[in-house]
Amino acid sequence: MKKILALGLAATLSAAGVAAFAGCGAEDEFVVGAIYINSQTDTAGYTYAHHNGITKAMEQLKLDAKTQLKIVDNVAEDTETVKKAVDTLVGQGADIVFGISFGYIDALEEKATEYKDIAFSHATGYKSNDKNFNNYFGRIYQARYLAGVVSGLKAKALDANASSYNLGYVSAYTTEYAETCSGINAYALGVQSILGDSVTVKVKKLGEWGNETNEKAYAEDLLTNHGCNIIAQHCDSAQPQIAAAAANKFGCGYNSDMTKDAPKGHLTAPIWNWDVYYNKAISAAKKNFDEYKAQGGNKADYMGKYVETVGGNYYGGLKEGFVDISALNAATVTEDAQKYVDAVKALIVAGTWDVFSGKALTYTVGENGAITVTPVDSVLTKNDNTPAGAVTDAVITGSMDYLVKGVTEV
Amino acid sequence: MAKSDITAAKKAPFVRFVKREGMKKRTVALYYICAVAAALLIGAVILACIGVNVFDYFGKMLTVGIAGSALPLRQIENYLNSFVPLVITTIGLSLAFKMKFWNIGGEGQFIVGAIVSSAIAFGCPDLPAWFLLLLMFFGGGICAGLYGLITAIFKVKFGTSETLLTLMLNYVALYFLAFLGNTQGEWNIFLNPESVRPIFGKFGENAVMPVIPLGGFSLNITVIVAILIVVLVWLYYGKTKHGYELLVVGDSPNTARYAGMNVGKIILRTVFFSAFLVGLAGAFRVSSMGTLSESVTNDVGWTGVVVAWLAKLNPFGILLVSALINVLQIGSQAAATSYMQIDANFADLLQGIILFIVLACDFFIRFRVIIRGREEKPKNEGKAEKEEG
Repeated sequence: MKKILALGLAATLSAAGVAAFAGCGAEDEFVVGAIYINSQTDTAGYTYAHHNGITKAMEQLKLDAKTQLKIVDNVAEDTETVKKAVDTLVGQGADIVFGISFGYIDALEEKATEYKDIAFSHATGYKSNDKNFNNYFGRIYQARYLAGVVSGLKAKALDANASSYNLGYVSAYTTEYAETCSGINAYALGVQSILGDSVTVKVKKLGEWGNETNEKAYAEDLLTNHGCNIIAQHCDSAQPQIAAAAANKFGCGYNSDMTKDAPKGHLTAPIWNWDVYYNKAISAAKKNFDEYKAQGGNKADYMGKYVETVGGNYYGGLKEGFVDISALNAATVTEDAQKYVDAVKALIVAGTWDVFSGKALTYTVGENGAITVTPVDSVLTKNDNTPAGAVTDAVITGSMDYLVKGVTEV
Repeated sequence: MAKSDITAAKKAPFVRFVKREGMKKRTVALYYICAVAAALLIGAVILACIGVNVFDYFGKMLTVGIAGSALPLRQIENYLNSFVPLVITTIGLSLAFKMKFWNIGGEGQFIVGAIVSSAIAFGCPDLPAWFLLLLMFFGGGICAGLYGLITAIFKVKFGTSETLLTLMLNYVALYFLAFLGNTQGEWNIFLNPESVRPIFGKFGENAVMPVIPLGGFSLNITVIVAILIVVLVWLYYGKTKHGYELLVVGDSPNTARYAGMNVGKIILRTVFFSAFLVGLAGAFRVSSMGTLSESVTNDVGWTGVVVAWLAKLNPFGILLVSALINVLQIGSQAAATSYMQIDANFADLLQGIILFIVLACDFFIRFRVIIRGREEKPKNEGKAEKEEG
């Protein structure tokens, strides 16, 4: 019996020894760390999109995700848990740490102060410092406007002579978050640019970011009880699109191209190309890291330049290719949809017009079918008929708390 | 006579479990070691199948991620920070279990302790630190104790099932916490007023648990308190009248009654202490974190039940088993970071396999399986084990 005990002990010790040895190899390599809200093995959804973005960016930068990417996943928005995850990642040699969920904000801020030699980058947040901590998010509202244009064209094609149109929108939240209400508003403005005042966007609120059962049920309610032919969404799953397709109706997904989920119903989806930012951020941190390796000295002095190198906080849009809409589904969209999308996109990319600029778009169709878009003066009005006032980036990302005229919550 | 023997044999269930007595301690230890080894082996096979370096993975897991870490001291701090709530919660639960009062309301009592002490931290941030901390600990503990007492009162007065009631009260507390975490309003002192989205605020400095700096290592004071509580509870069982009464009620309430003990009062008192300790663990936790959170319990209310069972309710056993289970939990995270194919759920699964096998082993150490018809010659226990070992 003693022999077995001794054998067990020896096995444990040697395992520990091997592990200690294995841990020593990777010191000189640049390592990316990531904290995810869901599983790294997900095959769809928010975490999947970020994970895809990081691995894609690493591939572009010729970094090996197998050895140079460390992940802690399923991390709840709990400051202590997130801090622990940061410790684990830094312990495993991470040089830049990404946190993808809003609730990581305080933990990342604290840890950025504690680990001055590591770069930190936080998605969807608002905190940063001028050395090693920035945040990133995107103008998804621009993509939603385009989806609105495509939806408007489709609604018109379904019934050109209708006196009024109803479109549905299943949303996680409404006016609680600037992120959600700016999305609803942009979509509504896009639809209105085609259909004018005759349109009502009917919004149903989930009260959470994802719930497959309710996403489906709410979409069905909009389709059957509110006369909606098209369902847009700001929630996690493809259920609203599947419900629309099942009712022989149409819709716009979110986050990923949901044409594969609802081939007969899906028009297009606003999507994120996270790799655009991840490429930028990882290159910046790696540049600082490489300088440190080449010149030596205090690592914090080099990594403290990360925010400067990456160019501060990131808020990319269509122009940077950070947001977009997925390829139009030829089986469902109107023939002219691509032309409209291209024309509006060109204006936004050129910087001559933006969704909340206060100007509305009008379209003229040339003889050869070419679309000309003209911004005309207009007043952005809330759905209680008061003027919304000027809409700056700070409003879109932070303080927007109203729905525009033509939107109702049902 | 022969006939009645046959009926008796027929009536006996096909498989029976009989309590096992008189096993040698060394044999028991060997069984446990074999169980853990078997569990690791199964885990190793699974890991190897999905292309993971088994030695690296287990090496990191069993050394709590200290091996190969750039921040080994921080890893130990984090280990201790999740060790303390588990120990104190389990000790609390075990008090009730000793009395055969199945308090599975650890989650709820922990949350009540956490919420009340957070309310005190947010409500009176300007009190002197020592006073504020004591207020938080006793406030959290006492309110959790009262929360547990609800069940005990129902049990004593109406004979309701404490298992069901404590279980259901878990969800009341859990959803109340979720409500606090998601509802913005003037009244909600728990949230950070500067944030657009609802997020819990941070405690003022006075409400944060002090640490003892030891070079690069900061020792959280609750580690010492936890060990102290273990010793005190051990003394409570062995050296005090209250502790003795508790054990008697656990063995047989009727005996206790016959001996003139006030059983109802003993149950109420013990359950209050049980929930008080669990609530205290919650208060310690939020004070150490410096904030409240929806996942504040880290499931200790559930894990504590397993720990208490494995430790056979022995206070020092609880200390040991908590330490080992915590190695699995913290170690898994460190080990899984390097492997894209292993998410936290898979790491949990591996932990589950190990725990399951150890619990199964525990069961067979405690009980002997008897199959109908193949039984009943009283064997020499020691000899039988030698054959098996």
